[in-house]
Amino acid sequence: MTAPSMKERQVCWGARDDYWKCLDENTDDASKCKKFRSIFESSCPQQWIKYFDKRRDYLKFKEKFEAGQFEPSERTATS
Amino acid sequence: MWPLRALGPWRLALAHLRWAARPYSGSQGTGSGGGPLGAPGLRTRLLVTGLFGTGLAAAWLWARAKKEQRQQRRRMEALRSAAVGQGDFHLVDHTGRPRCKADFAGQWVLLYFGFTHCPDICPEELEKLAGVVRRLDAEPGQPAVQPLFVTVDPERDDVAAMGRYVREFHPRLLGLTGTAEQVSEAGRAYRVYYSAGPRDEDQDYIVDHSIIIYLLNPDGLFTDYYSRSKTEEQITASVRRHMARFRSAFS
Repeated sequence: MTAPSMKERQVCWGARDDYWKCLDENTDDASKCKKFRSIFESSCPQQWIKYFDKRRDYLKFKEKFEAGQFEPSERTATS
Repeated sequence: MWPLRALGPWRLALAHLRWAARPYSGSQGTGSGGGPLGAPGLRTRLLVTGLFGTGLAAAWLWARAKKEQRQQRRRMEALRSAAVGQGDFHLVDHTGRPRCKADFAGQWVLLYFGFTHCPDICPEELEKLAGVVRRLDAEPGQPAVQPLFVTVDPERDDVAAMGRYVREFHPRLLGLTGTAEQVSEAGRAYRVYYSAGPRDEDQDYIVDHSIIIYLLNPDGLFTDYYSRSKTEEQITASVRRHMARFRSAFS
């Protein structure tokens, strides 16, 4: 399969951004964004969808981490 | 340091200091000049000491300059031999023409490793790279920089695929591909990590790889590198600085 052209990449990124915007507005409730999800899935190669899903998870985790929501464990001397 | 090891000058300096430090026998107890045949006055001794010290300093500076020249010659020889062998590659460009590093001698090169099936990182880095090239092109009197894109996915990125990909970024961006061995050789030369991920039902996969733009000088030597966090402006400024400071090992 040939790689996506620049135009196809931009369509895919636009669909991804729309989907992520919907998730942001609905506190990551995927059931509210099914329409955007299906546009996203039809605009991007399978591998890219998996990659972007993982990327979103990572970005969300990073947000929480930087907001200090993960406390270091008390016991640090015994490892 | 050369002067420290030779005893002669030190003995001489010691003898001179002893002479200069002798209690002088001036007449009226003031310090200015002794009698016509008497001990030399303070001013004379200071003058002679000063001249002697200046002479020593000059000799030391001369010896140091000579040593630096020798070191610089040796360094240039090392650079010349490194420039020939270091970072070489044997690949094919997106027009089908074989290319090796020597083909780019005399040019500044910006080199990036990636693959055409890349979801976002490679297009962003190549856009950045193209932007840097355009900025450098806009500067009058500067040599044209050669951007290179080497694939880490030779299985899918053949000559045709590379051609389709690179022409969307910049007309001078040259795509380079080859056999798995040739790409592996190039990757080793630049310490590039790459690893193809698992395939899905469509036989599609993503290649994990290090994300770096390399700068090579006109001697073909690796000069600097730019990570994903460097902006177009920062890279442009850095390349300009290197260009201003560059002196060829082959001139």
